[in-house]
Amino acid sequence: MIPTTNSVIAVEQLDFSYRTSGQWISVLKGVSIHINKGEVLGLVGESGCGKSTLAYTLLSYLRSNARIDNGKVFFGSKNLLALERSELDQLRGVQISFVPQNPTTALSPHIRVGQQISEVLVQHKFLTDAKVIAERVQELFSVVELPDSGALMLRYPHQLSGGQQQRVCIAMALACDPNLLILDEPTTGLDVTTQSQIIALLIRLRKQIGMAMLYVTHDLGVLAQIADRVGVMYAGHMVEVAPVDTLFEGPRHPYTQGLIGSVPDVDVRKNLSQSLRGLLERDKLPEGCPFQPRCEHADVTCQNTVQYLENVSDNHQVACQHWKSIDPGVPVDSTDLARLSVVGDRQLLKFDNVSLSYTTKSLLNAVLGSPVIPVVRRVSLSLQTSETLALVGESGSGKSTIVKAAAGILSPITGSIEFDESGLSGDVKHRTSEQRKNIQFIFQNPDASLNPRSSIEQILSRPLAMFFGYTGSELQKAIDNSLDSVRLDSSYRTRYPDELSGGERQRVAIARALVAKPKLLLCDEILSALDVSVQANIIALLRQLQSENEIAMLFISHDLAVVRNLAHKVAVLYDGELMETGQVEALFSPPFHPYTHVLLLAVPSIYNRHTTSVPARTEIVGTAAGKGCSFAGRCPWQLGELCTQEDPPWRENGQSNWIRCHHPLDELLRRSTWHVQPQPPEKLG
Amino acid sequence: MNLAHWFSLWRLSPQSLKIGSVILLFWLLVAVVGAVWTPYGYSQLGAGLPLSGVSWDHPFGIDQLGRDVLSRVLYGAHIVILLALAGTSLGVVVGALIGLVTAYIGGWLDEVVQRFAEAFISIPFLVLALLVIALAGPDLSGDPILIVIVVAFVYTPRIARMARAAALDIITRDFVTIAKLRGESAWSVVWRELLPNTTGTLLVEFSLRAGYAPALVGSLGFLGFGIKPPIPEWGLMISENRALILAQPITVIGPGMALASLIVGLNMFTEGLARILGRTVRLGEQ
Repeated sequence: MIPTTNSVIAVEQLDFSYRTSGQWISVLKGVSIHINKGEVLGLVGESGCGKSTLAYTLLSYLRSNARIDNGKVFFGSKNLLALERSELDQLRGVQISFVPQNPTTALSPHIRVGQQISEVLVQHKFLTDAKVIAERVQELFSVVELPDSGALMLRYPHQLSGGQQQRVCIAMALACDPNLLILDEPTTGLDVTTQSQIIALLIRLRKQIGMAMLYVTHDLGVLAQIADRVGVMYAGHMVEVAPVDTLFEGPRHPYTQGLIGSVPDVDVRKNLSQSLRGLLERDKLPEGCPFQPRCEHADVTCQNTVQYLENVSDNHQVACQHWKSIDPGVPVDSTDLARLSVVGDRQLLKFDNVSLSYTTKSLLNAVLGSPVIPVVRRVSLSLQTSETLALVGESGSGKSTIVKAAAGILSPITGSIEFDESGLSGDVKHRTSEQRKNIQFIFQNPDASLNPRSSIEQILSRPLAMFFGYTGSELQKAIDNSLDSVRLDSSYRTRYPDELSGGERQRVAIARALVAKPKLLLCDEILSALDVSVQANIIALLRQLQSENEIAMLFISHDLAVVRNLAHKVAVLYDGELMETGQVEALFSPPFHPYTHVLLLAVPSIYNRHTTSVPARTEIVGTAAGKGCSFAGRCPWQLGELCTQEDPPWRENGQSNWIRCHHPLDELLRRSTWHVQPQPPEKLG
Repeated sequence: MNLAHWFSLWRLSPQSLKIGSVILLFWLLVAVVGAVWTPYGYSQLGAGLPLSGVSWDHPFGIDQLGRDVLSRVLYGAHIVILLALAGTSLGVVVGALIGLVTAYIGGWLDEVVQRFAEAFISIPFLVLALLVIALAGPDLSGDPILIVIVVAFVYTPRIARMARAAALDIITRDFVTIAKLRGESAWSVVWRELLPNTTGTLLVEFSLRAGYAPALVGSLGFLGFGIKPPIPEWGLMISENRALILAQPITVIGPGMALASLIVGLNMFTEGLARILGRTVRLGEQ
């Protein structure tokens, strides 16, 4: 099927393999897709589904261990895969350009950013006049909304923020006015507010320039904001292609339905555990539909029948032979709210006016009289038994620092921490064995938190032996029980971390923390390294474990959607200071602290599409640390001198919510524009 | 691990590893056989006429005292190999221990140990070795244990630095933090968390150092500070026969070639091993 002349690029029946340890592994199978002029096509899927490989193939870029078995990529009338290197050079970077995931590694650290952009112009446009080049670079800077003063062009990449770096990468991609822009997870490493600005920029650029885009991401919420059509990939197959509204309202493929059901949403609290069962097992893929082993609608024929994309409607295709008998849409089950554990009546952890700093009070500092500026200032928090307190804020807001103090890695310079009605030292060496047992830490990345040279059995047996002195059969039984509690069977005992998937590893890390029977669990972004379906399973698991074992959790997350679905209480931090704290429902309804408001507006939601609103300015107009409101420089509603000079007061909003702001609550209520959706619809679609 | 698996592993391994292990296997075989059987006794006088030249009976000729040089080379193999391996092993164990523990504890102890290690590394191999022998005094001179200690002493600071560098990378990982928060002792963290994750580095370091050790043992023997006659240590043999180098060069070339091929074999083996380990270590981290 040669696509219409309307398409910019068209992929036909692409089969693609990678060679690993002497074997060719199929990564893409029979993938066909096209992108129309001026259209944004989103590609979504979990890690390893082949979406990035497909994106790179559109650039006809192959790694040395890659092979194209079959298929064509038409760009206009040319088949990119058959072109010579010299011909490709005239297309890539000119008509097709690329924005990578991580701008920190994409920009050369020792070349000024302006020069890096001008290199593209020299290479492709053969510009030689320095003045013309400088003008064009200026122009590109203003296109991507970077301040077009000459100073920024002369900076090195490390002198820019992550968002600015990504803007430079986009400017570089736009340098030759491409027809097609390929973006590989361009906002994944960025804060949610920065992400929303980059997306707003891309939407605006598209309107202005009218170029087509391929947007690869794992985040359905982002696609809801920016994409016209979405292709869903699973294990190297394109399983469903549909316009964005159709996809979210009436998905047909069981995988798409499960994927959408797995995504926690900031607007809706829902049951996430029902969605996708099992895991993708690459070595056990059936001949026919790759999703068959995990599919509820599968029958015997699915295993052997190869599925092709069939037309549901004009531009909605699905690769499932049973699509006619599957109800479109995603069931939303909000009964789950009742499953949040009941909060205990005893206070477990208390931070009283705690300030934290990484700089130690050295003699030199004392002599020079240089003041130690704490990274976390005067934070007071409290946590009941069986309660989950989420710490929310952008990177650098001091979330992890607070958790480190609770863990015993960092001592407070002022203030005190209380645990279970007795003082808690900031240094783990001065804690009792009982305290060490009762406070357990789970890290973000299970790859780094499990010793790769220890078997799962060894990993789990160590805390059991240390805290309870178990040996022999008692120890064996406890290990089996702990594996069972995180839904892993005892065959995992002899395996090593690198033989496990990311989700399984995180389960082992959770099991290791739980065997100590802790009262408090410190969770540092424990979901962010995981795919959405795995994430949904872990959230369900954590909830259940919490109500079974009466564990309190201090939960760090940058993802407000997860927070809304898991936490009882939330504390919002900005630059080391508390901005707002309160019960989760009160926090997600107006009035909001201006910063909370900015954060909420930035979160992409799949139930509330196409409403990116650009939040407040990002450039921080310096406020002296420790003086005035730390958010003053970025606040959209700043009250001039008052905010930069005086500490804002805490204002109590109802029984359970405190906001720290100079604005009175009625004023904040009046200004809140975030929509509030009290009840999720029975069924979407 | 069946036969086919080993075969495919062999097929995929680098060329240097293949050649190196063939040479190494040959010398290990010689060492085992030579220790119990040689054509003539290693100190048997009058095995042939001194300076009677190369013949089928005496391929490596006869030395000044009428001893068969080939028999002496064969017998000497296990001595050279044992001394080298024992010295290197001791150096790796002590060096790894110092490196890992100081890296974990850190602070001023780490600083002090590092400066000492640097001071020792700045002294050339042979000078340092002679210094230790001189300090040990004449009573111990020629004692195989002293040779082992000397080799270990020369290697320890270098290995300690390698182990420390490898450990510093591991210490920042979260699983070490978890162990610390659990209240594990320094010894337990080193033993359970650091050592298993640095074995790759240490193994490569071991075989690298083991490759140079025969040269060091040989040099000491040549200078007369090694094993005492009549034990046929190869360096010592080269020294004894050097007066014959013009009249009957084979008596020097024989043991010289033996020493050279052992060192080359060990080095090729090491290089191949390092490449394989480097690869698996990288794969493991991905």
